[in-house]
Amino acid sequence: MNYELDEAVISLRDINKTYPGVVPLHVLKDISLDIRKGELVSIMGASGSGKSTLLNILGILDNYDSGSYTLDGVLIKDLSENRAAELRNRMIGFVFQSFNLINYKNALENVALPLFYQGVGRRKRNALAMEQLERMGLADRAHHLPGELSGGQKQRVAIARALVTKPSLILADEPTGALDSKTSKEVMQVFRDLNDTGMTIVIVTHDPGVGAATDRIIRIVDGRIENNDQLSIIND
Amino acid sequence: MKTSFFDIENWREIGATLARNKTRTFLTAFGIFWGTAMLAMLFGGAQGFEGVMRRNFAGFSTNLGAAIANQRTEPYKGFNKGTYWQMTTRDIALIRQMAPAMEYSTEMNQRSGTVAFGSKTKAASIAGVEGDYGNIMIPVMMEGRFLNHSDVSSERKVAVIGKNVATSLFGSDPAVGKYVSVDGIYFLVVGVATQLSDASIGMRIDDGVVLPSSTMKRAYNLGENVGFFVYTAPQGHSPAENEAVIRRVLSSAHSISPDDRKAIEFVDISEQFEMIDNLFLGISILALFVGFGSLMAGVIGVGNIMWIVVKERTQEFGIRRAIGAKPLDITVQVLSESIMLTLVAGSLGVCFGALVLGIADKLTYDPLLGHAGFELSFRVAVIIVLLFFILGSLAGTIPALRAMKIKPIEALNDK
Repeated sequence: MNYELDEAVISLRDINKTYPGVVPLHVLKDISLDIRKGELVSIMGASGSGKSTLLNILGILDNYDSGSYTLDGVLIKDLSENRAAELRNRMIGFVFQSFNLINYKNALENVALPLFYQGVGRRKRNALAMEQLERMGLADRAHHLPGELSGGQKQRVAIARALVTKPSLILADEPTGALDSKTSKEVMQVFRDLNDTGMTIVIVTHDPGVGAATDRIIRIVDGRIENNDQLSIIND
Repeated sequence: MKTSFFDIENWREIGATLARNKTRTFLTAFGIFWGTAMLAMLFGGAQGFEGVMRRNFAGFSTNLGAAIANQRTEPYKGFNKGTYWQMTTRDIALIRQMAPAMEYSTEMNQRSGTVAFGSKTKAASIAGVEGDYGNIMIPVMMEGRFLNHSDVSSERKVAVIGKNVATSLFGSDPAVGKYVSVDGIYFLVVGVATQLSDASIGMRIDDGVVLPSSTMKRAYNLGENVGFFVYTAPQGHSPAENEAVIRRVLSSAHSISPDDRKAIEFVDISEQFEMIDNLFLGISILALFVGFGSLMAGVIGVGNIMWIVVKERTQEFGIRRAIGAKPLDITVQVLSESIMLTLVAGSLGVCFGALVLGIADKLTYDPLLGHAGFELSFRVAVIIVLLFFILGSLAGTIPALRAMKIKPIEALNDK
């Protein structure tokens, strides 16, 4: 294990989230959770259990109603759209199930895009993007459009894009959901390798195989954390 | 942090996005292109059309009034209805003295006659005028000079002959300095004239002979009689301002009923020109209205397309928001596209409009009358492009604001 016990990248305390409606839907109930630096964690749960909502809150894509969320020491609460965008850009790298690459941009441009929003100059951002593509073994695919890449390659481009800003955290939403089992294993190996370098990674999945490949599984059932086996892992 | 608007990536991306939907981009751009071209062509075209029409009156004073002696239509002071009266030089002198708004004026007598040089003869209109006639009709001198006040006061036996008369009598030889016989009396030709305008007073100079009025009265034994009186009002005044004085002078001098308006025929050409001016104004307003309509159609097209673009690219905007794009970045991106589209297509449209106007101007060019004025000034061209730029940006603003309000989480889930 690489994580440091006293350094929580993510700290959730009594997070509640309700979607308003004719019948309000209380999707997250008193969620408290710490994810420490260098952890590789999976969040698992059945469909509708609230795991995606939790991921959205972790990714500053959605707000919560009550409680507190601290990301790398920054309290994430009632942020403006601009501040949220800035924190997403600098602190979080996203990896999506459907890759979410921009299809008319080549791999290099896709990877460089987060740096564009940081105002990094074109030459520098291309160099940094190429560095990440090389890390993913995709240097020779840098100028290929997403349509010209395999599923595994696309996901590795997406991971390179997530890494290019050197974030504190990688959030992956079903990163192997669209991949075959062989490619899934390859992608999971990429995550493992990244984790070995000290990167904190949170993966939302319903695939037990993916969960098993992580250091800790957080199970969400009906909006609550069923097993917060943090202590056992730490003890382990 | 610098704004993404000036980053080359932004513009490369715009080029790439526009190129991805070639047909749609072309059709939208064509709407803008046509809108600006129409506005430019209608604006410059209305100007050119006015120029063509005004050329018909070139060299002809438009602020012109005239008084003509007609039969009495009412019995008055012993004169029966239907009797004639004659305007005289004394009347003219009095009118000139009393008229409140008169700039140039001339008495005129006119008749048909025969002009001869050697064995060659030509039937022509003969007019006797004063020196100011040249300021009212403004002839174009092809040879020599026009008549002046000194010719009139000295009763010189000089003549200005029309272009066609000169050609008939002298062919291509110079006419000035030669003597022509006008109804048997010899006059020294001092000038050959033509006129630019299709409009004329009494006769076309091209087919006539113009003599000093004093000389003509003596030559034809007209005494003090004057056929009619023509004058112009100064800038900012109307010829009609003199009508009351003219009627008062003539009716009291010739025993004409003050109510007999037909006996003294008063002509105010400026009224006709005012109608023409109103017609041009109407045409210009119509041109602007139609042009603006085309422009609005183009602008609405841009807004519509940008709206579709935003709808189509919602998920992409979600991805961008997730990886760090601020709402303003998305707005700038959408706006940049509409600005790029409107600027490029609008500028091309204005260039096309200017080209068409240039061709029209070349085709209507007349060596004597000059350019009709089918043209688009640089200032107007810039105004049109700027107007389109502003309206195009405004049209892009609504979709851009919509794009800005898209929540990243909603956008990511958009299929």
